[in-house]
Amino acid sequence: MKSLIGFVAVAALLYAVPSAVREPYLLHVLVLTCLYAIPAMGLNLMLGYTGLVSLGHMAFAGIGAYTAAVLMVDAKLGFWSALVLGTLAAGAAGGAIGAVCLRFRSHYFMIVTLAFGLMLYSVMNNWDEVTRGAAGFAGVPRPAPLGAFGFGPLANFYHLALSAALFAFAVQWWVVRSNFGRVLVALRQDERLAQAKGVNAMLYKTAVFALGSALAGLGGVLHVSFLRVAAPATFNLAESINSVLVVIVGGAGTLAGPALGAALFVGLPEYLRVAAEWRLVLFGAALVLITLFAPQGLGGLIAGGWRRLARTRA
Amino acid sequence: MSAALLEQTVNGLMAGSVYVLVALGLVLIYGVMQVLNFAHGVLFMLGGYLCHFFFTRLTGSYAAAVLLAMAALAAVGIALERGVFRPLQGNLRNQVIASLGLILVFENLVIALWGPNALQMKVPATEALVPLGELRFPLQHLLIIALTLAAVAALAAFLKLSKFGTAIRAASQDRQAAMVVGIPVERIDWSTFALGTALAALGGALVGPLFLVFPQMGDAPMVKGLAGILLGGMGSVPGAVVGGLIIGVAEAWATLVLPTDYRDSVAFAIMIAILMLRPRGLFGVRVRGEQ
Amino acid sequence: MVQPRKLLPAVLLCLLPLAAPAQNKVSLGIVTSLSGPMAAPGKFQMNGFRLAEEEINAAGGFAVGGRKHAVELKVYDTRANPAEGASAMQRLATVDRVPLVLGELHSGVAAAEAPVAQDYGIPLILTIPTGPNLTEQGNRFLFRVNANNDQLTAALAEFIARQAWSPLAFIAWNNDAGRGGVNGMKKLLGDSRIGYVGYFNVGEVDFSSHVANIRAGNARAVMLLMDEEPGSLAIKQLRDAGLKTQLVGTLAMGSDRFLKRLDAARLEGMVQYNAFPPNAAMPRIRAFSERYRKKFGEEAHGFAAQSYDGLMLAVAAMQKAGTASDGRAIRDALAAIEHDGVIGTIRFDAKGQAHPPVYVTQWCANGTRRILHPESLKADCGAG
Repeated sequence: MKSLIGFVAVAALLYAVPSAVREPYLLHVLVLTCLYAIPAMGLNLMLGYTGLVSLGHMAFAGIGAYTAAVLMVDAKLGFWSALVLGTLAAGAAGGAIGAVCLRFRSHYFMIVTLAFGLMLYSVMNNWDEVTRGAAGFAGVPRPAPLGAFGFGPLANFYHLALSAALFAFAVQWWVVRSNFGRVLVALRQDERLAQAKGVNAMLYKTAVFALGSALAGLGGVLHVSFLRVAAPATFNLAESINSVLVVIVGGAGTLAGPALGAALFVGLPEYLRVAAEWRLVLFGAALVLITLFAPQGLGGLIAGGWRRLARTRA
Repeated sequence: MSAALLEQTVNGLMAGSVYVLVALGLVLIYGVMQVLNFAHGVLFMLGGYLCHFFFTRLTGSYAAAVLLAMAALAAVGIALERGVFRPLQGNLRNQVIASLGLILVFENLVIALWGPNALQMKVPATEALVPLGELRFPLQHLLIIALTLAAVAALAAFLKLSKFGTAIRAASQDRQAAMVVGIPVERIDWSTFALGTALAALGGALVGPLFLVFPQMGDAPMVKGLAGILLGGMGSVPGAVVGGLIIGVAEAWATLVLPTDYRDSVAFAIMIAILMLRPRGLFGVRVRGEQ
Repeated sequence: MVQPRKLLPAVLLCLLPLAAPAQNKVSLGIVTSLSGPMAAPGKFQMNGFRLAEEEINAAGGFAVGGRKHAVELKVYDTRANPAEGASAMQRLATVDRVPLVLGELHSGVAAAEAPVAQDYGIPLILTIPTGPNLTEQGNRFLFRVNANNDQLTAALAEFIARQAWSPLAFIAWNNDAGRGGVNGMKKLLGDSRIGYVGYFNVGEVDFSSHVANIRAGNARAVMLLMDEEPGSLAIKQLRDAGLKTQLVGTLAMGSDRFLKRLDAARLEGMVQYNAFPPNAAMPRIRAFSERYRKKFGEEAHGFAAQSYDGLMLAVAAMQKAGTASDGRAIRDALAAIEHDGVIGTIRFDAKGQAHPPVYVTQWCANGTRRILHPESLKADCGAG
C-alpha cells in the first residue's frame, strides 16, 4: 500500500513538471528520457529478471516504429490505432523471433539476438519501397488532437510520453509481483531446477521476450511520432547496446532501474555538455565498473542504501 | 566467368584470413577461459591505430610497426584479463556486459584522441601489383594470406610441440584437471589473452595499408570472426581457421550471384544454419555443462 | 613558477576586448557532423561558415536597424543521429534563442530538425543534405541552398546520355545519398542502360566483390555514389585490379583534397558533378577560391561554398527584413530574396529549394580539372 501511495505521489509530481518549470528544453530532455526508459523497461524484464541478454532489443522498437509510420502515413490510420498495432507487431515479432533465439543458451542466444538485430536493421535500411530506407521516413505525424488537447506543444506530448512510461512501469510492476514474474526469476537463478519442478521454461521465456519486445515497440512508436521521422539510425546495434547500458547502469532487476538509467544516459550529457565521444567513454567505463563492483547498478545501490537507512533507524 | 570466380576466390581468401586472425583470438580465449570477448573487434581496431601511430611517428618500417602494435596489444590484453575478466570469472552475463562497456570505451577513446576521420597508412612496398593471368592484386592481398598461414602454422606448432602450448591445450580441455596436475592456470589465462589480442592486432595492422584505419573497422571482422568460430566449433583452433576461411570465401562467391546488399547476410545465414543444424560446429566437441 | 614574460601576452590578450568598440552579437545556430563517417564533409561545411563569419565580422558586422551586429556561431554536432538533431534544434530555439539555423549534412537528421524549426518559427537553411523529400513536406521554414539529388542526377544524366556510356554500373553508399542517387539515375536513364548496382554500408572498405561484378558485367562506366574516404578506396581498388572503365563520381570527388588521397594517374578521365569548380574563370568563383586558400591553405570545395553562401544569404535576409531576432520576418525575407552568391544567383522556389547551376568536371592527367558541362561554361584543364 505504501508503495502505491509513493508511486501516485511521484507520478503526480512528474505530471506537474510543465506547470512548475517554464524551460521547454527540460521538457524535451524529459520526453527523451521517457522514450529511452520504455524499451529499457522491456529489456529489464528480459535481462534483469529473466537473465536473457538480448543484443538486438532496439530492432523491435524499430518494428513498432516503422509499422506505425507506414500505417499513419501510407494507410492514413490515426495515431492511437497505429500505436496499438505497432506495439502488437513488435510483440508478435518478439514472440516469433524469440522462439527461434530461445532454442539456444547463453553465448549462442546472445549471438543469435545480435544476428537478428543486424538483419532487421538491414531491412529497415534497404527496403526503400516500404521504409524509405536510409533517408528516413519523414512526415510521421504527431497524434491528432484529442478535442482541444493537441500534441504539437511540447508540454502536451510530454504528458503523453509520461503516461506511456508510467503504463510501462505499471506493467513491469505487475509482472514482477505476479506468479509469472516469480517464475522468471526462478528461471534466471536455476533453470534446470525450475524445469524439474514442472515449469515450461520455453513458454515463459518466449512470453517475456514477446512482452519485452512489445514494450520496445511502444517506445519506438512514440519515438518516431515525437521526432516526426523514422530513421534506421535510431534502431541500430549501437542503440541496442545503449539500451543494455541503460538497464545495467540503472540497476538490472530493479523496478526503478530503467528510469534511472535512462535519466542518466539522456540527462547527464545535456547538463554537463561533455563532448560526445567522452560521454560514451565515461558511460562505457561506468558499465565496466558497475559490472565489476556494483552489479546491482544504481537502482540497487539506492535500494540498498534505503534499506540500510531503514535498518539504522529501527 | 572463371576469371571472376578466381578473382573472388583470392579476395575471399584475403578477407577470410583476416577473419581467421580474429577467430583464432576469440577461440583461444574462449577455450581457456570460457569467455566470449565481444570486445575483440575494438582490439583489432586498436591494433590498426597503434600500427599507424608507430609507423608514422616512431619507425618508418612497417614490419617493425606491426610487431610493436602486437606487443602493445598483448599488454592491453593482459591488463584486461587481470582487471576485468578474471574478477568476473564464472559470471558469463557480466563478462559479456563488461565487454560491451569496453567496446564503448575504446571506440570512443580512439575518436576522442585521433579524431573521427579515417587515417591513411601508405606503405609503398605493399602497393606493388601482382599479376595473375588477366587479374591483378595488390601485394598486400597476398601478404595477408601468406602471413596468416604462417601465423597459423606457428600457432599450431606452439600448441602441439611446446610445453606451454600443451599446457594451454590441457587447460582448455579440462581446467580442473589441469590445476590438479599443477599447471599454473592463472598464468595460462593471461598469456592466452595476450596471444589472442596480439593476433587481433596483427589483423588490424595488416588491413591498415590496404584499406583505411577508422574507429568502426573492427565491427564487421568481429561478427564474421564470431560466425567463423561458430561454424568451426567454439573450442576448436583448426575449426576457427577453417570457419574463418569458409566465411570469407562464401561471402565473396555469394556476391557473384546475390545483390551485394546481402553480402553480410551470408555470414548470418551460415551462423543461423550451423546453430540450427549442428550447434557444435564442424570440428567442435560437445561443450561441457552449457547446452 | 609563473614567468612574467609568458604572462604579458596573456594580459594583453585580455585587454583586447576592451579596446574593441561595444558591439551587438547575434548568435546563429549551426548543426553539423563533426564526428563519425561524415566528419570529412563536415569540415568543409564548417570552413565555409567560418570564412563567412570572419569576413562579416572583419567588416565590423552587419547593419540592421541602425546598429552593427557581429555574427557568432553556436555550433552543435548532431552526429548523424535524428534525436540529436531534434535536441540541438530544441536547444537552439529555446535556450540559445537563435533567429535561424544553418547547415546539417544528413537528410535523415534534417528531417527531424525541420519540424522543430517550424514549431518555433525559425528558418532552417540547409547547405548540404540532398534528400528530395525534405522540401516536399510543406514546411515554410525550411530552405535549401544546395541542389537536391533530383537536380544533381538530372544534370549528370543529361551528360551521361550524350556520351553513350552504357551499361552504367553503380557502387553506392547504402544511405539516403547513395540509394537516392541510384534511383534517380534509373528513372532518368531507363533500366536498359543500367548495369550492375552494388551497395555497401557506411564503414565498409572492401570493394573487391563490386570490382569482380563490374568486370564480369563489362560496364562501360562506373558511377561511385559515395564520399571521398570510401571513394578513394573504391577507385584505388578498381584501378589496381586493372579495370580501365570510365569513372563517374560525386561532388566530393572533385576536390584537391581528394586528389591528395590518390594520385592523378588513377583519377585521370573521371568525371563528377560539381557545385563549384574552384578554378573556373568566373570572378565570383576565383575571388572566393583565393580567400579560401588564404585562410585554410587548401583548395576550396563545393560544400564550403554552399555553406558560405548560406550564411551570407542569412545575413542579407536579416538586413532585408530589418530584424535580427524575428524568425518569421526573416523567413518571409528569405522566401523573396535574390542573392548573388559564390555558387550563383540564389532564389528559393515555392518549396524552399534553390536552383543553383550544376557543373560536370573532369580530371586531367596533370591533376587539374576541366569543365565539361554546361556547354556555355566549358573550360580547359586548369580552369575547373
